[in-house]
Amino acid sequence: MRFPGANADRDEAAYVLTGAPLDATTTFQPGTRFGPERVRKFAATYDDYDRRTDSFFSDLRVHDAGDVPAWDALDEYLDHLTAELRAAVIDDAVPFLLGGEHTVTWAGVRASDPDVLVTVDAHLDLRDAYDGNPLSHACVVRRCLDGYESDESSGGDHPTVDEVVVLGARTGSPEEWERADAPDVTVVAPEDVTDWVREFDGFGGREAYLSIDIDGADPGFAPGTGTMEPFGLSPREIRDAVRAVAPHCVGIDAVEVNDRDDGQAAALAGKLLREAVYSHADAR
Amino acid sequence: MPREQKQVRELQEGSYVMMEDSPCKINAYSTAKPGKHGSAKARIEGKGVFDDKKRSLSQPVDAKVWVPIIQRKQGQVVSVSGNDAQVMDLDTYETFTMRVPEDEDFTPDQNIEYLEYEGQRKVVG
Repeated sequence: MRFPGANADRDEAAYVLTGAPLDATTTFQPGTRFGPERVRKFAATYDDYDRRTDSFFSDLRVHDAGDVPAWDALDEYLDHLTAELRAAVIDDAVPFLLGGEHTVTWAGVRASDPDVLVTVDAHLDLRDAYDGNPLSHACVVRRCLDGYESDESSGGDHPTVDEVVVLGARTGSPEEWERADAPDVTVVAPEDVTDWVREFDGFGGREAYLSIDIDGADPGFAPGTGTMEPFGLSPREIRDAVRAVAPHCVGIDAVEVNDRDDGQAAALAGKLLREAVYSHADAR
Repeated sequence: MPREQKQVRELQEGSYVMMEDSPCKINAYSTAKPGKHGSAKARIEGKGVFDDKKRSLSQPVDAKVWVPIIQRKQGQVVSVSGNDAQVMDLDTYETFTMRVPEDEDFTPDQNIEYLEYEGQRKVVG
């Protein structure tokens, strides 16, 4: 099914929504392969009209490009997904990505080449490798920040971001916290996110990419995710962060939704994506 | 029209393809791996040879596309006047006017190499 309200044709789209049902490196509970379809399904009940921005979602020229089905060779898949997302960028549309595991964010970042990556996430995702795999979902922020040296085909010459802001992080390994101590990483604890949003005043003209890992929310609100981490953000806290950051974004994703709940995680992800579209369009 | 038809699967990075009626040089080519349903689709990204505009194309690998036959030619600068230069084709001795690229500095008698397709020319840096 198509994301509700994403009725625009590809050639007139301002936003191109693409599903990336990658489920290759999930480490505890799998199921992210069902994420894109589930988010579309549970977005069906949302009103087209948004009172805050006085706009109709179906007027905002969102096109649903369907899914890019995943296969085993992660490197190749990420290259192809990047190319698919870059096609939207070439046509001056903003790519919106539906995961899939968090690894797909690296394709979104490579396609849109932002200066700053903002993630909503329980985890730092700053590992250099997890289970020996540098493309694990637990390493995605590290890839976006420091690249991928072992990529022979491009000499490791992928676009990387200059700065990362992790909203709602509450767990990580010692090595990850050490990397997070560097000046190019800002970690905002769940209890400080509201203040961060209140003081947020853009990135000085720099372009951002927003990645919403649904496990940034407290698992009580979004249990359908692979690695639940208690003491998380409330949906309204994430909503306010999305409203603030989205207008500055050249790409946005919602990831790590699986099918292991009654739709709570998918419903939240879909609603946050809609908030992002309303906010981005309203600021244009 | 100097062009030929090829299957998408025959294309590769560095080769040329027509996109939106413009000859483009391919800088990225990737293929989706189909499972039980659908045929393999390629995503091609290229840049206009003469207008530098980025373009993208998605087609099944067995689809036919037009490939422009772009000639690589030698010329000699006859004279320079402001941003324009008179250049002589060293094969046909035909003389034509071309815009001096911003990052180039032409001097008379200098030999240059350029790409030509349907009356459009571009100096090879």
